[in-house]
Amino acid sequence: MSDADTTTTTEPVQDPDHNMLVGTAEEREREKKYGLQEIPPEEVPLLPGELSHHPSPFQYVVIAMILVVITALEVGVSYLEGDIPNGLIIVLLLGMGLVKLVLVASYYMHLKTDKPVFRRFFIMAAVGAIFLYLIVLTTLGVWDGGS
Amino acid sequence: MEQAAIAPPAGGAHASTPVHAGHGEHETSTGVTNTKLAMWIFLSSECLLFGALIATYLLYRGRSKGIEPADVYNIPFTSATSFILLMSSLTMVLALAAIQRADYRRTKIWLVATALFGMVFIGGQVYEFTEFTRKGVTVDTNLFGSSFYLLTGLHGLHVTVGIVWLLSLWGLTTQGRLQQKDSETIEISGLYWHFVDVVWIVIFTVVYLIPM
Repeated sequence: MSDADTTTTTEPVQDPDHNMLVGTAEEREREKKYGLQEIPPEEVPLLPGELSHHPSPFQYVVIAMILVVITALEVGVSYLEGDIPNGLIIVLLLGMGLVKLVLVASYYMHLKTDKPVFRRFFIMAAVGAIFLYLIVLTTLGVWDGGS
Repeated sequence: MEQAAIAPPAGGAHASTPVHAGHGEHETSTGVTNTKLAMWIFLSSECLLFGALIATYLLYRGRSKGIEPADVYNIPFTSATSFILLMSSLTMVLALAAIQRADYRRTKIWLVATALFGMVFIGGQVYEFTEFTRKGVTVDTNLFGSSFYLLTGLHGLHVTVGIVWLLSLWGLTTQGRLQQKDSETIEISGLYWHFVDVVWIVIFTVVYLIPM
């Protein structure tokens, strides 16, 4: 570490190698103590097309745990075949799958924090695909066992 | 040392200012970068592609002669590979969070972890296909075999493309050619990767878990 790294100035310091701001002395001290992952989301610059900040790494982990729990529930429900009506199993599985899909799209793909244009594209395509293929499958008699 | 050399954005004035989109990006009339918009349009078209294949599987399911899905599916094994793909989505967003904080060491770790999870998933798929073949289900056995291999095989191809993409990003980061200002590059690859995960969420539910 050079003297410049330990200075107590509050002015951002220019990094000669990367031509970027390396932060103030307080910020460097905090990074040294907690690591860069601990920088709160509101201090991270917004990417183009974003309206608000992404979740923190900890929140990402919490969402992953929720996804794992729902997956475990899905597998558990699938083993109830024969014990409860198949219609109920299908509704439960589709519901849990939808929750997982929405969680990934909202938080990991950042549709919740991005400009609405992305959300509109995705919803339009997903809903359009579901409707289109439901019509096709219904026309071909999938639900009534026809051919 | 890497962490200390390239520090995160300072707060205050920088905090809510969108970072530059990267080399060669310009202001657009939509207010979003063309690359990100293009990726979303591509992903939207993929919804229709995978929707068609899932619909085809549903159409032929239960109408085949011979071996049926219930005879060959190994739900505990597929659940494990699904869990691995979910974890890869977590490591992918952690890679994005790391590069946004100019933490290049963690960026590389999470990118490699994501690629490795993807490789394990593909390995699982190869094992599953091998087992199915041993049990007599091949792509030309019956309608179930054809639609199943086409759907899951195309998904596996998407995962493979994602792995190559992730490893190339890891290489760029290692060479120092991917910096904090290029965070959107990681985000766009992440959009692709998460979409592949979303598609698997649907396939796992509709193809593997829903009873006949």
